[in-house]
Amino acid sequence: MINGADIHLLLPEIILGLAAIVVMLSIAVKRCHLFAHIFSLAAFALAFISLFLIHVNGTQVTDLFITDGYSRFFTGLIIAAAFFIAAISYPYFKTRDIHKEEYYILLILATLGAVSMVISNHFISFFLSLEVMSVSMYSLIAYLKNDSIGIEAGIKYLVMAAVSASILLFGFALIYAQTGQMELSKLQGTISAAVAKDILFIAGMALVIAGIGFKMALVPFHLWTPDIYGGAPAPVSAFVATVSKGAAFAFLLRFFHDLNGSVHNSVWIAFAVIAIASMLIGNLLALRQQNIKRILAYSSIGHLGYLMVALLAASVVGIKAAVFYLVTYFISMLSAFGIVSYLSGKDNELYDLDDYKGLFWQRPWLAALFTMVLLSLAGIPLTAGFMGKFYLLLSGIGSSLWILTIVLVVSSFVGLYYYLRVALMMFTHSELPRQKFKGGSFVPASILLALMFIFLLWIGIFPGTLLDIIQHLIPAI
Amino acid sequence: MNVIFYIASIIAILATIMVITGRNAIHSLLFLIVSLLAIGVVFFTLGAPFMAALEVIIYAGAIMVLFVFVIMMLNLGKAYEKMEESWFSYKAWLGPGILCIILLGELIYVFTVTKGSGRQLTVISPQEVGMTLFGPYILGVELAAMLLMTGIIGAYHIGRRKQKEYHRLLQKEEEPA
Repeated sequence: MINGADIHLLLPEIILGLAAIVVMLSIAVKRCHLFAHIFSLAAFALAFISLFLIHVNGTQVTDLFITDGYSRFFTGLIIAAAFFIAAISYPYFKTRDIHKEEYYILLILATLGAVSMVISNHFISFFLSLEVMSVSMYSLIAYLKNDSIGIEAGIKYLVMAAVSASILLFGFALIYAQTGQMELSKLQGTISAAVAKDILFIAGMALVIAGIGFKMALVPFHLWTPDIYGGAPAPVSAFVATVSKGAAFAFLLRFFHDLNGSVHNSVWIAFAVIAIASMLIGNLLALRQQNIKRILAYSSIGHLGYLMVALLAASVVGIKAAVFYLVTYFISMLSAFGIVSYLSGKDNELYDLDDYKGLFWQRPWLAALFTMVLLSLAGIPLTAGFMGKFYLLLSGIGSSLWILTIVLVVSSFVGLYYYLRVALMMFTHSELPRQKFKGGSFVPASILLALMFIFLLWIGIFPGTLLDIIQHLIPAI
Repeated sequence: MNVIFYIASIIAILATIMVITGRNAIHSLLFLIVSLLAIGVVFFTLGAPFMAALEVIIYAGAIMVLFVFVIMMLNLGKAYEKMEESWFSYKAWLGPGILCIILLGELIYVFTVTKGSGRQLTVISPQEVGMTLFGPYILGVELAAMLLMTGIIGAYHIGRRKQKEYHRLLQKEEEPA
């Protein structure tokens, strides 16, 4: 039973839930895009601030949720990402001929789902929050319903996510059947050596891997990614790439950590194969793409593969490296999609690679930021991505995962090619008229993009600050 | 009870196979209702009378009847059946079908290898369900409420048609333009 003392630990979730209801009721009174926008920004900011008001020390709130430093860090990261996405959404949707207010309700609810996933300590709460996030994403992806590609992407995601959710649920059921426990923190105690070898338990783990692997778009389950990224509105693609994947990864990391190596070797091998396949195939498939959103989609598959290396390292260093890398990945991906949506005009998005020809000569600062983002994704020194990859390698070597580490290095080199191809395109001189990049004159979004630029450089040059925060919040998870 | 359990499970499996293989949408839906009713019986024999009642009232009762009405209103008919036939040529289903059969074989193997622990039947009353739902799992109920809200808002947005009819006074203003 929940009591009054525990309820304040869920303050961010309560704020987000209330905000969604208030925006919904405000529509009944009067539709106003600016109000919905500013109100949701304020709600995200408030939820972020409320994180500093609560004192967490690994307290469980009923059986379902747990609030510790780890969940607090990820909650903050997700809410900050959602704030950025809400901010870049205003100029993107402003000129479009649809109702815009529902977008913010769905965005807040999707964030609520993601945040609840991160604090989940129970299969049931994880599944419910996953569904809150997925269901809002179906409609977010198909939000521009006059656009047939968006509708197609939405239906694809609906079918795939529903199937993967049922697979995940079946996996949870099998694990529950063998252990009689659905709480993560108590799961390990129920796994005896006999249970770990039990074929029903391993089958359950395999189904869970498939279900969560779908959300994280790891390789055998990645087929939806490019279509959904390409079809969804750019801010929504940013949400799918960062918040949705990050929340699923945070849960997987907690799950893996709570099992604490008491799983059968075959589960570990399955993860390793998936990681290797994601790193290689994600990067190789990106090589021949012409659509920038699809390039980012394949690149995100590769990045989640890198993250799996830190997960498999299964050490304290590994967890910290994974968290660090996820932060740099969030910043890079958010700015990349931020720029794409920033440059988008009234009815079209700038996604073709050729559209970016000569960007530098007309919008030098934007091109510089985009180059910076691409270099960070590729992991060039002096950017945040380099430090992230450095810690990943460190954790991989520390746990002597040689094959995984070598694949990580090789696929990073492959990745360099297509990132630089995009960068090169921006610096190619082109004689096209200036009006081509007509989008992008919204001041708050420019300020946020500039902030991202500073973050990327800051973390790249002085990684100590972020490391201290991680060290402080996640001493031993 | 055991005999009833097995009869109901076999009916559920057969009815579900008929749902998937049926060409006529209405027939498929009727079979789905049969399948859900059979699952209701399975729940009942496993000692969950409340779940059995919910299965009948909510799934077989409310949701499926709604489905049947919608499909009848769409009135798909023979032309749709032809179209569906062309979609599901054997090239389309052969590969996934083989993979599914392999998975089914694995599943049967997994369940035959595992030793059952025997059923200890404990009947769970509706009162206990309610106590658990609104006791330790109250936050789960709240999340489910958010889930419903998400679904409604999403469906409202996607399903909304653009209003084309204006008030007659407005129409006059529109006409010159």
